[in-house]
Amino acid sequence: MNKKRMKTKIPVFFIAFSVVPPVALMVLFMIMPTIEAFRLSFTNSTGMGGSYDFVGLKNYIYMFQDSLFILSLKNTIKLMAVIPLITVILALIFAFVLTQTKLKERGIYRVIYFMPSIISLTVIGIIFSFIFNPTMGSLNNMLTKVGLGQLALAWLGDSRTALWCIGVTLVWQSTGYYMVMHIAAIDGISPDIMEAATIDGAGQFQKLVKIILPLLKNIIGITYVLSLSGTLALSFILSKVMTAGGPSGTSTVLLQYMYQQAFTNSNFGYAMAIAIFTLIISISLSVISRGLTNRE
Amino acid sequence: MMKCVVKKWISRVCLIFFAFLFLYPMMWNLWSSFKSNTEFLTAPFDFPKGIEIDNYVRAFTKANMGAYFLNSLYVVIAATALTLLFVIPISYVLARYKFKGSKIILNFFMCCIFIQATYIMVPLFLQLNTMNLLDNLTAMSLVYAVFRFPFSIFLLVGFMKGIPIAYEEAAQIDGCSRIRILISIIIPMAKPGIVTVGMLSAMAYWNEYPLALVLIQSEEKKTLPVGLANLYEVQQYATDWSALFAALIIVLVPTILIYLLGQKQLIGGVGMGGIKE
Repeated sequence: MNKKRMKTKIPVFFIAFSVVPPVALMVLFMIMPTIEAFRLSFTNSTGMGGSYDFVGLKNYIYMFQDSLFILSLKNTIKLMAVIPLITVILALIFAFVLTQTKLKERGIYRVIYFMPSIISLTVIGIIFSFIFNPTMGSLNNMLTKVGLGQLALAWLGDSRTALWCIGVTLVWQSTGYYMVMHIAAIDGISPDIMEAATIDGAGQFQKLVKIILPLLKNIIGITYVLSLSGTLALSFILSKVMTAGGPSGTSTVLLQYMYQQAFTNSNFGYAMAIAIFTLIISISLSVISRGLTNRE
Repeated sequence: MMKCVVKKWISRVCLIFFAFLFLYPMMWNLWSSFKSNTEFLTAPFDFPKGIEIDNYVRAFTKANMGAYFLNSLYVVIAATALTLLFVIPISYVLARYKFKGSKIILNFFMCCIFIQATYIMVPLFLQLNTMNLLDNLTAMSLVYAVFRFPFSIFLLVGFMKGIPIAYEEAAQIDGCSRIRILISIIIPMAKPGIVTVGMLSAMAYWNEYPLALVLIQSEEKKTLPVGLANLYEVQQYATDWSALFAALIIVLVPTILIYLLGQKQLIGGVGMGGIKE
């Protein structure tokens, strides 16, 4: 009924006045730069104002012969394979415990666990580089105190661990955010279902596996995709602040390599090919996520 | 009964352990910011002996945090205002009217959620350069706002759909203009949603790093995150660690304050986003 009434008099001017400015701004600052990135990725542009030639697919072909690009791709894939999985599982466990527990202070845990996700990633990167510091770092200090001093390492300076320090920091930072999404979804489950399960004598673990997991399938899929996309974008900031990509490129991620190619080496064309490559990964993730949401 | 109590305490101990893991880095930073440099270097894990306010003074005077702070404040206020100015009307229209293309516009915004600023920071840099808007805090605020449009619209459309239509119809019969209806009916009723969107945006702007790194060049216009990252690089050679820790706390305090004041709306907003998305 409402629809019908609204349909009869559509305020064209008011709609245009509300819709056109934000859409125009999005085209100007999001769509046009994306198209420009696409165009430049087929050129040998070296930056502002200079002339350049179209080189076809050369940048894209070179990408897979460039060992540093392949290294940063591998690093990114390693992070994306491990970090979102750990993050989502932890977020799910926290959400489950915090919704099922009858502890009076559970609200406080929620506030504390969510806190890292509102803090500046630059600040987090700096604090964690102190935690991983070989001499002043809390991690080595703690290892020594519990008698595992022989495990102490220069975590960020070691090519085996530098990338994973970034990974741990990402998990620490984002788990609370996804936990809150899961909590909202669990709260949305009808209490009747949970009660019925309790009456039927289902234990906590059974409730988790038989009721919550199946009902949360969609939201888990979505948080997983969001976490993948977050890992792709946020690892750049942490890697730039914590390790500057080192030692010898072992913690460089895709976007950081793009940044270096553009602003250190002035290879704008090549940098844009890397950007488009990364964007395609991200858009594929978005398509997957749309698929998951619409599947209901 | 006994078993129940034991179980309760096991889960409590686990939860406290994780709370400790989440709080420890920030607490360590806080008490390090009260130590003198020698105290920090000789005993980095002990509690501070006194409170060295001088660290904070040095952060403001020598490390330029004062200027960065004002720049960040300006960007947050300008960008949040721009976000709300553009996002509220379009969210209302998309929530209320079905017109030709309304579905396309909504889908357009949803697809853009995944174009993050970091991916296209290089062409954005080139574009602002040709528009002569590089190194301009107001222009950067506008770019910040634009990149928050999709998510903000998505949250607010969901929220506004829940507002009963009857009030608007009554106002329409009374002869109110659409803009009047928007300002004096919709905005007050959508206030919790608007506050959530505003707070989430303001925090994101306060913390934003990649765009500020690329779009701002002169030292005196840098925002806090970029200034901090520079300070950190410099301090590795100058080793005034205590001033660095004080600077970190200066960045943290406003976000944590807003968070503690508005955690209900913030956590609600994130939960709402998750369910609808």
